[in-house]
Amino acid sequence: MTLSLVSIAGAVGCVVRYLFEYVVRRSHPTNRPWATVAANALGAGIAGYAAYRLIGTDDANIRAIVLTGFCGGLTTFSSALAIPVILQREHHWGYAVALITTTPLLCSGMFVVGMSLAH
Amino acid sequence: MRAHITLSPKQLGFAMLFVALGGAVGTLIRDLLLKINLYAIPRGTAVYSSTDWTHQIPWVLLAINTVGVYVATDLLRHRLKHHDPNDPMRLVLVTGFLGGLTSYSGFFVDLAAIWHLTIGGCLLVAAGAILAGLSAGMLGLGRHRHRA
Repeated sequence: MTLSLVSIAGAVGCVVRYLFEYVVRRSHPTNRPWATVAANALGAGIAGYAAYRLIGTDDANIRAIVLTGFCGGLTTFSSALAIPVILQREHHWGYAVALITTTPLLCSGMFVVGMSLAH
Repeated sequence: MRAHITLSPKQLGFAMLFVALGGAVGTLIRDLLLKINLYAIPRGTAVYSSTDWTHQIPWVLLAINTVGVYVATDLLRHRLKHHDPNDPMRLVLVTGFLGGLTSYSGFFVDLAAIWHLTIGGCLLVAAGAILAGLSAGMLGLGRHRHRA
């Protein structure tokens, strides 16, 4: 039961991330993945909030659904690094370095913001 | 790859469905893989030391993420190179499946647990994860040397 809810929550997270990408690309045609960065940052923020809120919760199910499912689906590690690697190969060094460095910094910042909001 | 795209409501619905399908499967597999307990010690044989920060390193998630970067780079650079971002195959495999399979947020939750024990260890794991991902990406690029 929890397994299917985690899976559905992950699907919802992925769709939200896709909608970010769709909206960005529709208004500003680009292959720069700033929507992915935004989705990762938002996901990290929600994860920080939820992880803090759910500390000590006996109900492991809600933790799995929110953290593993929704936040896990909303964020992506594969595209976060694959796109900069491809951009680097296409000689867009600046963009590649900017993406590789800003994503973890932004995500950890958002994670801390999420935690302090929950505090 | 650069494309100005506005989808009709029907097309957008299908695109969301493709992403959801891939994402559901990817998340399910990640959830199942994360249930692997690397430090499972038979009861009564040893004392589990929770203060050992190395026991908090999320090896399984690191492996999932690293493999995910390799496969994504390989797909986007080769098989899906000429497909636009709303190609069904790309939506299912990259945005959905690999996006659901890999996780940036789960990684930060694990890093936070290490941070409480050792800040240096936390930074080391974070740097290691990104370096591993970049190496996997370079490996994914290099399988076919021909330039496009």
